[in-house]
Amino acid sequence: MGRHPVYRSATVLEAKEEGRDYLDLLLREPEISQTTRPGQFLMIRAWPGVDPMLPRPFDIMQADPREQTLRLFVKVEGRGTALLKSLKPGTEVKITGPLGRPIEDFSCPSMAFLVRGAGAAAVVHLAEEARARGIGVYTILSASAASRIVCRKYLEPVSTELLIATDDGSEGYEGLASDLLDDLLRRKTVDRVYTCGSRRFARHVQRLDREGRIKGFVFLEGLMACGMGDCHGCAVQKNGQGGYFLVCRDGPHFPIAEVVL
Amino acid sequence: MIDTSVEIAGVTLPNPVLPASGTYEVDEVHAGFFSPSELGAVINKTIFMNPRPGNPPPRIWETPCGMLNAIGIPSEGLERFLADQLPRLRSLGPPVILSIAGNSLQEWQDLAAAVDRTGSVDMVELDLSCPNLEEGFIWAADEAALSRVVASVVKVTRLPVISKLSPNVRDISEMAVVAERAGTAAVSMVNSYQGMAIDIGTRKPILGNITGGLTGPAIRPLAIHGVFTTFKKITVPIIGMGGIATWQDAVEFLLAGATAVAVGTQNFVNPLTMKEVIEGIAGYVEEAGFSSVRDIIGLAQE
Repeated sequence: MGRHPVYRSATVLEAKEEGRDYLDLLLREPEISQTTRPGQFLMIRAWPGVDPMLPRPFDIMQADPREQTLRLFVKVEGRGTALLKSLKPGTEVKITGPLGRPIEDFSCPSMAFLVRGAGAAAVVHLAEEARARGIGVYTILSASAASRIVCRKYLEPVSTELLIATDDGSEGYEGLASDLLDDLLRRKTVDRVYTCGSRRFARHVQRLDREGRIKGFVFLEGLMACGMGDCHGCAVQKNGQGGYFLVCRDGPHFPIAEVVL
Repeated sequence: MIDTSVEIAGVTLPNPVLPASGTYEVDEVHAGFFSPSELGAVINKTIFMNPRPGNPPPRIWETPCGMLNAIGIPSEGLERFLADQLPRLRSLGPPVILSIAGNSLQEWQDLAAAVDRTGSVDMVELDLSCPNLEEGFIWAADEAALSRVVASVVKVTRLPVISKLSPNVRDISEMAVVAERAGTAAVSMVNSYQGMAIDIGTRKPILGNITGGLTGPAIRPLAIHGVFTTFKKITVPIIGMGGIATWQDAVEFLLAGATAVAVGTQNFVNPLTMKEVIEGIAGYVEEAGFSSVRDIIGLAQE
């Protein structure tokens, strides 16, 4: 079985609402669940006809080759995601994947994740893989309030240490999660930081990277029609050298020094 | 077995289905979908003489039954394309159509001559109709400009020339007549319709380029009308496109008068679309009791 993306039917096993506007979606699909690697995503389309037209991209949060399952985490914010929210178990959906570049470099003693809101979903597979390889996993979850903290149940078991910051102080540290990262970097030897879900945090990590304190990476989103380099929609500006990367083909994660945030 | 082949300007396509330029790469990422050797022809994303970065994002926006795009044709430039991409396109098997676009008459000629010299190309398509370039000029929307480009390209290449026409004109069939008089060997129609979307929150246009091109099933009836009205007025073949999402849609274009069809936006939605369309057309033709796809071209005209 190759690692090329394939277009397949998948069966909805669970579509669980999490909080007000998040959705935890479990699919069964035998092939992509075997081939996907940390850092990759898929395109999903779960409605007939041509409206909405385009499939939607989501990080593959978990893949279980034995159970042949894929877990996605969806923030419900538009027409496509609202349709995903109404999915019933047993429904067939169409998915294309795995897409994007897999993360293959695990040559580090530890990794930190600075993620906000649904951005946490992007790093779950990566954190699991790091943990399985004996790499230290430091997770910092950020949200506006305790009720908006997501993916904790997936990240907690694989984290060496998990910290929480909320804007309103309803749980954990009241204030910026980037303060927790700065503190972590003083306490622990962390040489790689992945961030997702907040431009503000991404800029912070970019600054730390520029200062040579860590090697930073960022997961980016982009409006994309295809997810495989055809539509050229998901352009993100290259830092310094001019021109654009494509989030789908060159990412969705980038060395943070290489992109304009 | 029915005969699925069609002929465009002396070039035999094993079947009438090809990708619309710039909507399907034949690279490693696509190796798991279907073999590009099954296509009726292969075509590149339009190449310019010099490298171009493309437009600033947002570059796409979904609309009812379609999408707007303002990609701006990022391109590695002719030299690198010929060295890196063309050999792979050629090796796939189907006829190779090279889509080119110039910023001046001289550049159109230089591009066409350079493509001709490679000896690896079967036809050249002139992208006269992209609505999203910063230069802001649609060659195919101006009779004199269209005529001049086609005539000057025909002079410098022995390759059959396909003119890709813009629907952003008063009457696309008249532009097809202009292209035919200037020596085009076929026309592709339609390119995207100019459109735009506005964010009611920020009160600003959504696309980085402000305007974009509308594609997808939303434009299909308009494109069918364009092909149908053009068929009667020209003798050169038509490559029909505009919102093909299923084989039934493709059959509609053939019945309207297209000799071949191109699938664009739907490739983004279902990467197996072109294979399904190829099989669906053959099934339709066989079921209807014809022996060749050619038998159904223009049937709706009668």
